[in-house]
Amino acid sequence: MNTLIPGLVHTPVTPFTDDLKIDYACLEKLLEFHLRSGAEAIATPMHVAESVSLSDVEQRAHFDFVMKQVNGRVPVLAHVSDAATGVAASRADYAQSKGARAIICTTPYYWTPPAAMVHEHFAQVAKAAKIAFYVFYTPAEMSGTKLNTDLMLQLVNSSSNFAGLIDASMDWQFMINIISNVQRTRPEFQLLSGNEYMVSAGAVGAKSMLTPMAAIAPQLIKDFFSVCRTEKYFEARKMQEDIASLYQLLKHHGFASLKAAMHIMGRDCGIARPPLDPLSPESFNRLEKSLHGLSFLNREVKGW
Amino acid sequence: MTQMFKGVMQSPVTPLKDDFSPDPKTFEKLLDFHVRTGATAISWPHHKGESLNLTIDERKSLAEVAVKSVAKRVPVSIHVSALSVEDSVDLAKHAQQIGADAIIAITPYFWSPSMEGIFKHYVRLGQSVDIPMIAYNSPSYLEGIEFNGELITRLLEKLPNLIALKEASFNSEKFVEISRAALKVRPDFAIVAGVEFLAPSVPLGCVGSYSSAGGISPNLCTQLFDACMKGESEKARQLQFKLAQLWDLFRDQYPSSLKGGMVIMGRPVGPTRAPLPTATPERQAFIAQQLEELGILDTEPHGW
Repeated sequence: MNTLIPGLVHTPVTPFTDDLKIDYACLEKLLEFHLRSGAEAIATPMHVAESVSLSDVEQRAHFDFVMKQVNGRVPVLAHVSDAATGVAASRADYAQSKGARAIICTTPYYWTPPAAMVHEHFAQVAKAAKIAFYVFYTPAEMSGTKLNTDLMLQLVNSSSNFAGLIDASMDWQFMINIISNVQRTRPEFQLLSGNEYMVSAGAVGAKSMLTPMAAIAPQLIKDFFSVCRTEKYFEARKMQEDIASLYQLLKHHGFASLKAAMHIMGRDCGIARPPLDPLSPESFNRLEKSLHGLSFLNREVKGW
Repeated sequence: MTQMFKGVMQSPVTPLKDDFSPDPKTFEKLLDFHVRTGATAISWPHHKGESLNLTIDERKSLAEVAVKSVAKRVPVSIHVSALSVEDSVDLAKHAQQIGADAIIAITPYFWSPSMEGIFKHYVRLGQSVDIPMIAYNSPSYLEGIEFNGELITRLLEKLPNLIALKEASFNSEKFVEISRAALKVRPDFAIVAGVEFLAPSVPLGCVGSYSSAGGISPNLCTQLFDACMKGESEKARQLQFKLAQLWDLFRDQYPSSLKGGMVIMGRPVGPTRAPLPTATPERQAFIAQQLEELGILDTEPHGW
């Protein structure tokens, strides 16, 4: 039985050097920054860390580095998703051997297998890991394969380490349906918010939250999560709206904007790898101006 | 301006006789039942009221029954959406003429108009009457056609009589974006949930909901809203889970199963018009079993 409740889970980006190699010196600084800034767990390498732009060899080396740097100070959750079930399972086995506390896995990339094979995919990865296993549902990024309650219940039956669902759908019906039905079979089943829209997720039972934007506004995220944790959701609303305004700003400028915003906040981690384009100078200037217009960022630390 | 539409508002089904013709006498009983059991407003005919399966003349005739029968005990809004916008405008003018308190309208059916087209649609409807208007956002049923922050802002700047939005995206990101934009223009603008997804929405500023289950379990609906407003998170969550189970039971061929359930509750409202099926005796027996297991039969009113 899984006893890990990850809480506030920071999801660091992957810093790159100018020649687009993993910048380990910067990654060290970044991990220390996250650990100082309220991370109760680290999940890596998530999509925000450009996991799908890292080779399998790089992903393993990157994970080794993270484990050594974090050195047991907080739990590390390993994201192992791949198109191939075997590759994801192998990566899960590896992460466990290096001390990961949990495995995170999405639906397979590219393919749209039938429901039975989606179940098989998750079941094989869960079996390879043995440690707590979380399914990551991010339909906006993974068009094609949808999850539902039946699949989650099948996974409960087949995988004793299936610990919960990380939801980035932000869909109330989906979240309520999953958690209310699955907890009847497995009461310890967890719902985790896959992004910073925690008020609604918390209100329907989420206890943990993954946060890419802690790299930009760690104090706000920490305060917000603290309030959500005590279920004072009315009190959290203003912070939720501030966070949403930052989320929408970054969404408007595209994936590369997270690293651009980090640069603006004095925490340069390079640019995103191809095929993602960096922000144009004009976009960068607009983003910078918009960030300066967000008064709540004034209380956030600049630099490392 | 005080919000006219808040709390748990009921949108009655449309009672039909065995020959599928409207049953105004039973409709009167149903309206009275809803008002007596706590409805804060009545809105008819939503899709639950088989709006699109009624002729325009039938809609006008029963709208008159609704306004007359409710007799100002609570506000009455008339849903005017029709396949043809010409019919919608006609229904809107009729609603005003018979003394309805407001009209409500969804984004256009069938077509995939541009945001400018949706804007003009609401401007035309809103300017066709002097009474308040409620807009209705339901992207899951009208895929791709939905409100965003920019549209609601433009509409609020143009239409002083746009006072509320029935928001049925059931999505945190979308809700927060619409809410942030709308309340910036008009702080007393009311956003209400499409059905009783109140636990995730009230903390974000939702002021109530239309009801899917009010014909079956009005007490449960009111208890959920009260728990949400008081910030009783755990109680709200458990009530929300129960209502979600009811929603799962009734959303299949909505409102056929709902009408079947009303038979069980001693409030028969007749069949459902084609192309929707009428709940069979077997389906009714299944619904009865589910309602018993949920404790609805012991906690909710039986009969009229």
